[in-house]
Amino acid sequence: MFGFLKQVGDYTRDAVDAARNLTQGLAVTFDHMKRRPVTVQYPYEKLIPSERYRGRIHYEFDKCIACEVCVRVCPINLPVVDWVMNKETKKKELRNYSIDFGVCIFCGNCVEYCPTNCLSMTEEYELAAFDRHSLNFDNVALGRLPTSVTTDPAVQPLRELAYLPAGEVQPHGVDPSRPRAGQRPDQVLSSLKQNAGGSAGNEGESATSTNTSKGSAE
Amino acid sequence: MVTFFATNAPALVSPGLDLEQSFSQTLEGFGLSDQAARLIWLPLPMLLVLVAAVVGVLVTVWLERKISAAVQQRIGPEYAGALGVLQPLADGLKLLVKEDIIPARADGLLFTLGPVLVVVPVILSWLIVPFGQNLLISNVGVGIFLWISLSSVQPIGLLMSGYASNNKYSLLGGLRAAAQSISYEIPLALAVLAVVMMSNSLSTVDIVSQQTGAGILSWNIWRQPVGFLIFWICALAECERLPFDLPEAEEELVAGYQTEYAGMKFALFYLGSYINLVLSALLVSVLYLGGWGFPVPVEWLAGWLGQSVDAPLVQVITGATGIVMTVLKAYLLVFIAILLRWTTPRVRIDQLLDLGWKFLLPLALVNLLVTAALKLAFPVAFGG
Repeated sequence: MFGFLKQVGDYTRDAVDAARNLTQGLAVTFDHMKRRPVTVQYPYEKLIPSERYRGRIHYEFDKCIACEVCVRVCPINLPVVDWVMNKETKKKELRNYSIDFGVCIFCGNCVEYCPTNCLSMTEEYELAAFDRHSLNFDNVALGRLPTSVTTDPAVQPLRELAYLPAGEVQPHGVDPSRPRAGQRPDQVLSSLKQNAGGSAGNEGESATSTNTSKGSAE
Repeated sequence: MVTFFATNAPALVSPGLDLEQSFSQTLEGFGLSDQAARLIWLPLPMLLVLVAAVVGVLVTVWLERKISAAVQQRIGPEYAGALGVLQPLADGLKLLVKEDIIPARADGLLFTLGPVLVVVPVILSWLIVPFGQNLLISNVGVGIFLWISLSSVQPIGLLMSGYASNNKYSLLGGLRAAAQSISYEIPLALAVLAVVMMSNSLSTVDIVSQQTGAGILSWNIWRQPVGFLIFWICALAECERLPFDLPEAEEELVAGYQTEYAGMKFALFYLGSYINLVLSALLVSVLYLGGWGFPVPVEWLAGWLGQSVDAPLVQVITGATGIVMTVLKAYLLVFIAILLRWTTPRVRIDQLLDLGWKFLLPLALVNLLVTAALKLAFPVAFGG
């Protein structure tokens, strides 16, 4: 008899606990509703790629000596270096160079080992194409520079990681016009310039000028 | 409006606005016969309710997307119309013009019949949803029982489409849907039965009328708190909403019985599930939250303002507040359903059946017995 009552009691306690936990969960989700969105509104806003971002590879035809180091260090020997030996000058003559970005894994070994620094990483990552063969970039396509996120007038550049303004801890009721924490590259540049001007005039005031420039940027 | 069965509306409630009567009177003024006027009137409320149901679905889809976005700190649809209100319309249009695919070795007839069998009972159930004393298509005497029986047609359609798809995921989804619907129908019916016992009628109009005496205090939720919870849980399970969306669990079953469906047939499933959600929310508000009743009885308000309840303007305002209150309560419940979707994890199939058979069913039975006992003990408060 008491065993049965205990069972009923335990069962009831479990049910009440479940209800309490559910309410707690609902409170959490409800609390999230008025928070500032964390999402980047992609085609209109874009994150600024980090400094050493490994995007599409840039290639300078004139610097290349056709040594084929890039081919050797590539995990799958991807770059195609098309050269012929000029018998008279006894030098390699480069005709074509291509990398297929439909296959490339963007490991950056070629960039790392290139003896003449003719390969470099860009911050371009929008490589979607209707035909995978159009991702096979030749030396002309490889020589193009991508539009930077910060200079594209159609794009609002955003700093990565922090979605709240500097010094803000509560995500509730943050004014949507206030930007994310951190300075955009142009703001960093202008503050550097100001800094340089301040330090030329007075060494002691450089610290304060940094502070004021930061304040104006925010 | 149209009453196929004799209404036994209590005498203490005013008859309120009767649009059908006014409409027939106008037509008879033009020299039409009584029968012809009735024939012209008949399709109007049906069309109106069909449009209302579809608009309700569009609003619910929009709400679902916006609230889901807000809960996840996103923005949600933004560019189709102001705040993305046209997004569900765009989705619907897209589904409308998509190719209609029947898988190679599927049973074409059953495959087509499945979604129809899922949607038709749900839309038919709107027959009994009252928005006011006379604002419903048909005050059927067996009202709420009609809804329960119609909702048990649905799993047949689900099973049919799951079986006809010739796909293991569809079949599993269909079987799960059938198992779920069958196990949650019983506690649902028992919860409804307790309410019916208190209002002495199966008609939805009578159930609401019985709750209008003292405004918010006379709502059934105070007398049936357990029944309310059982009904809401079972309604969520019947609508296949999270935490009970096992039949279409993406991670396990691709999309359950909908896996092979595309275009308009998929749209029917989609429409059906959302109409069902809105319908369930409306019925919760009818059964437990006083339906079209204002928290303070309109009769009292009219009395305080020195107006007669039968004055034309008061009647129009009463009707309008009735519709607004019903929809408001229903959408509050829809909001809770959406919030629950992002709060609770999906239950396992064994947990689902455990909850249905071992928890809700005994609880609903106890609730019914207690209601019966209370009805005998306190006939004043429990509708003796």
